[in-house]
Amino acid sequence: MKFRSERDSLVEALATTSRAVSTRLAMPVLSGVLVQVEGNQLTATGTDGDLSIRVTLEVIGIEDGTAVIPARLATDITKSLEPGAVTVEANNEQVEISAARSQFSLRSYPSLEFPSVSITNEITAHVPAGVLADGLRQVVRASSNDDARPLLTGVLLTAVTGTVRLVATDSYRLALRDLDGAAGVVGDEDILVPARALSELQRLINPGDEGTVGVTTTPSEITFHVGAVAISTRLIAGTYPDYRQLIPESYPNALHLGKETLVAALRRVRLLVKDNTTPVRLSMRSGGVDLKVTSQEVGEGSESVDGDYQGEDLTIAFNPAYLIDGIEAVAGDEVIIESSDATRPATIRSAEADNYRYLLMPVRVS
Amino acid sequence: MADLPHEDRSGELHPAILLVDMDSFFASVEVRDDPTLRGKAVLVGGDGGRGVVASCTYEARKFGIHSAMPMVTAKRLCPDAIVLPGKISRYAEVSRELKEILLDHSPLVEPLGLDEAFVDVTGATSLLGSPLTIARSIERRIHDDLRLNCGIGVGPSKLVAKLASRDAKPTINAGKIKPGPGVFVVLQDEVREYLNQFPVRALYGVGPATAKTLGRLGIEHVKELAEMAPDVLAIHVGHHHAATLIGLARGEDPRVVVADVASKSIGHEETYATDIVVREELEGRLRRLSLSVANALRSADRRGRTISIKVKYSDFSMVSRAHTMVSGIDDPEAILAVGTALLGTLEIDQGVRLLGVSTSNLEDSSTPVQLQLDVGSNSTEDLKAQAAWLQLERATLDDAVDEIRARFGHNILGAASMLERTGLVIPEQRSQPFGPPAVDSDSEES
Repeated sequence: MKFRSERDSLVEALATTSRAVSTRLAMPVLSGVLVQVEGNQLTATGTDGDLSIRVTLEVIGIEDGTAVIPARLATDITKSLEPGAVTVEANNEQVEISAARSQFSLRSYPSLEFPSVSITNEITAHVPAGVLADGLRQVVRASSNDDARPLLTGVLLTAVTGTVRLVATDSYRLALRDLDGAAGVVGDEDILVPARALSELQRLINPGDEGTVGVTTTPSEITFHVGAVAISTRLIAGTYPDYRQLIPESYPNALHLGKETLVAALRRVRLLVKDNTTPVRLSMRSGGVDLKVTSQEVGEGSESVDGDYQGEDLTIAFNPAYLIDGIEAVAGDEVIIESSDATRPATIRSAEADNYRYLLMPVRVS
Repeated sequence: MADLPHEDRSGELHPAILLVDMDSFFASVEVRDDPTLRGKAVLVGGDGGRGVVASCTYEARKFGIHSAMPMVTAKRLCPDAIVLPGKISRYAEVSRELKEILLDHSPLVEPLGLDEAFVDVTGATSLLGSPLTIARSIERRIHDDLRLNCGIGVGPSKLVAKLASRDAKPTINAGKIKPGPGVFVVLQDEVREYLNQFPVRALYGVGPATAKTLGRLGIEHVKELAEMAPDVLAIHVGHHHAATLIGLARGEDPRVVVADVASKSIGHEETYATDIVVREELEGRLRRLSLSVANALRSADRRGRTISIKVKYSDFSMVSRAHTMVSGIDDPEAILAVGTALLGTLEIDQGVRLLGVSTSNLEDSSTPVQLQLDVGSNSTEDLKAQAAWLQLERATLDDAVDEIRARFGHNILGAASMLERTGLVIPEQRSQPFGPPAVDSDSEES
């Protein structure tokens, strides 16, 4: 195998595929990226067995062949080379990377040991990239990273009245978002996609993007195609908790506030939070809300934010980071916080768009 | 060494650290409280099949009995010995009085268990006199106020003070009790020579494994270790450990006296009269232990974030497992859930002689708690996730139970599984501290 490529596009291909590579696995070959050259087409694939990322790239092919090269090291080396052409050549158990006056010879892994990764090129549905990026931004962060609760480390994709709903919860908060124009991604069966794969997808698309993301679902896998990149992941098996029964049908209290003012005030009082157990107290009253953080060692800070409140006076405490997460994700300028009491979930949503909801459990303070 | 009445050079010590160690503390408290025991061989400890001697009077030591000896052996050595089950709450009370006396001499008091404490008197000398004078004053107060005896080691480090305290104590020689000097001082310029006589095992940080490694290198005594080249030793025990060990052997002990830290863990363990091989039975024991730990946590207004279990097998090998929660727990069912999950990872076929449950990473019970949505944690297979849920769900119930017990008595309310022939017995952390009592083999099933 031998090819020549422009440095920056090669770095991008290697760095992207490296993100699927795990160094913590028992199989050393999985810390490598599989590079295949056929004519002028290069395909780089990284996998940890569950998540696989494949990038295709036009290069100047010199000799067809395959090699498994150490992912991190090859990326770091290529990145630090002088700009310009890079030549990569594999022979026996070595791979040579050279550019200008630099010359590296790295030990490679046997290609035969690399697991067969079949990423389909067939696309069964299309989702507007900007909408998907926006939805992922709102939802993925509410998923859990606790491996002891595998179901919660996923994001649920479920079909609702002609569109797809994304749901994620770590049991402290729950985010849901209905995507427009995403029909056909999910059939009758809900699917549970590892949040890790969606975080990788998030890196490739932005809320303002035009164009679409191609999606292929099989009973056990989902694949996303973004330009020359394909991300494929095994689905999480199991039945997701019934999230619908967690959402209160109505709330006695509703607080309307300006989003930017509220976020800015929360960020200021949060400066006093020393650890993740210190909550922010919201005292809701006619005419707005008072925010207060009391930190035993540090001191205290309070803010008042004007707004419109209907309901009984109520003081409720939240983890400030979770609260800011939810409010920031709201579209538009006005946010509504609905609540019933100090121990039951509150909902954060936009006054303008009804396609996003963020359910947040309070912090109990004595 | 230097306990010369004419020349007190202890003022040269900097720092000046005392280790105050009570003489046969539990047994002495028993004798003091019951004068009819005076002059007799008294043993405090578990009297069951697996019981060990926790403390014994010097009269018992004349028979070769020492603490940590199996009770069965001790009773064979001295059949007339009086065996007492021990009253930890009483000893804890006396221990608090001891601490008061120590605090009268220096604010830097670091207790080690109930019967020993380090005292840093470096800053107290201008007010109270030389370290030796202070030690004598402590000794007198313990004798006059508590009517108990102690041995006090004085040195420039914790290591030396601890070793010196043994030289301050009474000894048994040819069946006779020989009183010790009460206070034993090791000066800075005497440290090397003093340490040289000890076997390496006397140094903390030298456990059986290290001692074995050192033994293979021909190092038996501190003297040989002190003379060792660090690079050579590093080949066998690693650089960091080698430097520490040689430093200690040369009397360099960087540990400082830390004034009374809040208790770092709350736990309870039990040694069983016969090995347990049935998992259900062990889980039953775990339930009792969890309950007593939960009660202890709640009465201390603490919650534990880390739950650990300890299992000692019939061959005395020991394993422990721990799990750290996002927020602290003090509910018995929650502790049990974590404990059961941890126990599930261990084999028990070879027989379990001791089981312990402990909580650490303690937080105040007023620490705010992030509430959770009911995402099925209560029905999950994962016991650890279930524990967090149980803690939240049962908080109000636990508070109510505490209140009822406070008003009507500890054993008034509890789970049916805590029902015994004699009525409801809610386990407490300090009941049966040294194992279950002896059971007559024929009455066990009655």
